[in-house]
Amino acid sequence: MAEKKRYAFVIDPARCIDCRACLVACRAEWNTPPGQTRIWVHSDGPRGTFPNLTQTYVPAQCHHCADPWCVEACPTGATFKREEDGLVLIDEEACIGCGLCVNACPYQARFRNVQTGKADKCSACFHRLAAGEQPACVATCIGGARMFGDLNDPESTVSKAIAGRAVYRPITDEVNTQPMTLYLTPPDASAVQVNPTRRDPVPAETFWHTIGLPVVKLAIAATFAGQAAAFIIQLLKGENEYEDA
Amino acid sequence: MTDQERKRRHLPLTRRQFIKGATLAGTGAAMAKAGVFDLGTAHAQGVGTTHFLPGPTADYQVPTLCEMCVWRCGVIAKVRNGVIEKLDGNPDHPHSLGNLCTRGQSGLMMTYDPDRVLYPLMRVGERGSGRFRRATWDEALDFTAEQMLRIRDTYGPEAMIFSSTHNLSQPLFENLLNAYGSPNYGTQRSLCFNAMITAHLLTLGIQEPARRYDGMNYIILVGRNLFEGISTSESRQLMERIAAGAHVVALDPRFTKTAAHASEWLPIKPGTDLAFLLALINVIISERLYDSWFVERYTVGFEELAAETAQYTPRWAAAICEIPEATIYRIAHEFAAAKPYAFVHPGWRTSNFINSFQTERAIAVLNALIGICPEQGDCIFADETAVTVGVPPQPPYPRITALRLDGVPWKYPLVPLKLGVFQEIRDAVLSGEPYQARGWFFSRQNPIMSIPDRARTIEAFKKLEFIVSIDIILNDSSWYADVILPEATYLERYDPVHPVGNRVYIRQPVVEPLGEARSALWIYRELGKRLGLGDYFQYVDEEDYIRQQIAPFNVSLEQFKQVGYFEVELPEEGGERRWNTPSGKVELASETLRNAGFPAVPVWEAPPEPPAGRFYLLTGKVGQHTQFATQNNAYLTQVDYHTQDLWLHPAAAAERGIADGDLVRVTSDVGQVEVRVWLTEGIRRDCVYLAPGFGHRSRGLKIAYDRGVSSSDLHVTYTDPISGSQALTQTFVTVERA
Repeated sequence: MAEKKRYAFVIDPARCIDCRACLVACRAEWNTPPGQTRIWVHSDGPRGTFPNLTQTYVPAQCHHCADPWCVEACPTGATFKREEDGLVLIDEEACIGCGLCVNACPYQARFRNVQTGKADKCSACFHRLAAGEQPACVATCIGGARMFGDLNDPESTVSKAIAGRAVYRPITDEVNTQPMTLYLTPPDASAVQVNPTRRDPVPAETFWHTIGLPVVKLAIAATFAGQAAAFIIQLLKGENEYEDA
Repeated sequence: MTDQERKRRHLPLTRRQFIKGATLAGTGAAMAKAGVFDLGTAHAQGVGTTHFLPGPTADYQVPTLCEMCVWRCGVIAKVRNGVIEKLDGNPDHPHSLGNLCTRGQSGLMMTYDPDRVLYPLMRVGERGSGRFRRATWDEALDFTAEQMLRIRDTYGPEAMIFSSTHNLSQPLFENLLNAYGSPNYGTQRSLCFNAMITAHLLTLGIQEPARRYDGMNYIILVGRNLFEGISTSESRQLMERIAAGAHVVALDPRFTKTAAHASEWLPIKPGTDLAFLLALINVIISERLYDSWFVERYTVGFEELAAETAQYTPRWAAAICEIPEATIYRIAHEFAAAKPYAFVHPGWRTSNFINSFQTERAIAVLNALIGICPEQGDCIFADETAVTVGVPPQPPYPRITALRLDGVPWKYPLVPLKLGVFQEIRDAVLSGEPYQARGWFFSRQNPIMSIPDRARTIEAFKKLEFIVSIDIILNDSSWYADVILPEATYLERYDPVHPVGNRVYIRQPVVEPLGEARSALWIYRELGKRLGLGDYFQYVDEEDYIRQQIAPFNVSLEQFKQVGYFEVELPEEGGERRWNTPSGKVELASETLRNAGFPAVPVWEAPPEPPAGRFYLLTGKVGQHTQFATQNNAYLTQVDYHTQDLWLHPAAAAERGIADGDLVRVTSDVGQVEVRVWLTEGIRRDCVYLAPGFGHRSRGLKIAYDRGVSSSDLHVTYTDPISGSQALTQTFVTVERA
């Protein structure tokens, strides 16, 4: 078996010009419904006062985490982490559109596709990778801000890009899903929304855990108890005698 | 039945399995990872190869050329089931280098725009009512030819105006108007780059200087916003230089995305870039920082330039352009020290002020002073060279004696004939001077959106007897046309070939045209036949035209189509560098200018300033749209957020009681619009900014109609007497709460 890959995005915000070609490339590649998107370029307008201003543009997408909470949350296994390269992918046929993964992702990188009703997110264009191409967003990036490749290969673009440089993962003390996106400048939480936040469970999830599941358990228990009681009663009473009608 | 089989048969999971899965997921990942349940085990452990991951696929790929702007990147189009699925940048094209910009990526939505005109249309209602009926090609072309012949026979061919844009088929359109015999040809040029081209022609004998970035360490951008006015390869090269540590100075009254990436942003007062540049010349000459070898060998007029610019000290300039004296002095020194790996970018759209021509002259002169042709290497500023391709035979054009309506050369003696003065044509239609125009034929042009003072342009349109338009969607100008001839999109048609350097590229159909849309090559030939000008269009069809173009080379059309390009060996340029000017040298002082009554060397010309209480109205591109042509593109409108608001500085807003997001009324001398305001520190207090291209009035554009507002409603028409350039930033506006 071939050696495993360790795919990662490396993003250099200093090279992003906020042209949004990546957003359109992704939309065209995946035919994402209007109003929804798989990837982003975050920005908060210029900071400082005239004329001392700075502005950064920070590309983001699903980080294909090494410890993906979405995979844990998925009740059907539709969301899975691919063993041979670490990509977090969605089996659309197995997805039931319950939305638990959407809520579980601390990066809001997932959404329920309004046309398919299934979970949707960046798939690193696995089909393009298979054909020897880069993901659509990376391939078209004019500034060279978006990079993608195999960290296990020292000759890959990403390995070369991070060689000898400090890299920053978008994590907090509270949330560390081991995201596989490495930023070449620190993503400033006050400037851009790239850092993760743990989200409260959705009502359906809360309902399931606080009421639904106990009720089911109780019902099962009651059924078992009823069966057992009936059995014991029967034992005690002995064989019934049935009369022919 | 296994889960895999179930998936392939598209059978739903049973409710029992869902509950089982949900229970386990809810009880924790540990169990899932341990493989407790059958359904998810394979997935959770990541045996990906067994998953259902269809992914988009393509049946075939076609190399062709983009037309979402005029940069003409190489495209690889992927097609499935006869539908264009995706466009990628062609790595084998020097303009795309494997990338496509935002607009290039959205290109397939131009083909699949639900508002496309798919059949010839003829007007049935009042002009501008938008009431058309479907016609056959024969009917529409016969009627168009009949009207054009009627106008020619009644008023002379000069009564017919022609307009086209920078398309690959433009030479064929020019063929049509030259054969018809009209001198009246209006293009976007005077609204865009007249100042840049005229100044570089007069100084260097080069009309469009190539920009070379290799090794450049010091780059001064005079309003050139390459990260929003994107030319794919050039924008990428600039970023590569920035990443490599080059010093980039961005002069702009607005904090653009280019300014955000520059080493320093200088928020210069609008219209005063000329003062800044003259001061650089002053320091470089007075402190002998120039390249004396180059200046002595290749230039004329140095003494006169030195004498004129002696007065333009950094102190003098600082008071005018509001950039500190020390900064100007420092930049002059740094710039000269970096020679020959430094340049001032010549700019592109340079239609800002009446003095934009002098600004461009100063740029050309400044580059010459530091030796734009280093001894050891290429000229930084050379004309783009390209292969000469074959042309079909044709008779000579008829002699034209009528005056041009745009005033070239009788009113504008130095404006190159091919550039013209577009805005003057509109005014000539209205005034009837020097004679009355009767018809207008435009191809993929949208004068109602592009020429300043939209109300007057619409008035001019209503005065005409006949208007015919070649278009893809019902743009604003087509809305006022009598006949609309639908052109196939760039992904559906052939065009004349495009030579770039030593290569020749092909634009070819990726899919069949929708409806009855046709190529421009076909339309011009059909019209030519009906006008009795068939001899000017000697080709059987599009492929035959291209075969004649590539006849001089040893290549078949089939090979050409498959690879997308072929290479030709260009002769080596040898000998002494020659400059295509009257003196044969770089003209720091120009006798041509002097003889026409203009200053021979760059001089300071003070631009008009807004009266108290008014703002400069700035314009400038956003990276998500091309001029007035892409606002109906469903992909681009998904990503053009935050581009339709009026930029205003918070301090200027506070004085007027305006809050962020308020609706404001913007008033100029010729028009008024109401628009939402965005308060930003990224603009001077004396400026407001509005992106161009929004506020379409054609109801044939369902997305673009009435979305945002048009700066063409506000722009006042001013023309530079030397270059014929429109001065777009000379429009001053008031802003108040609506």
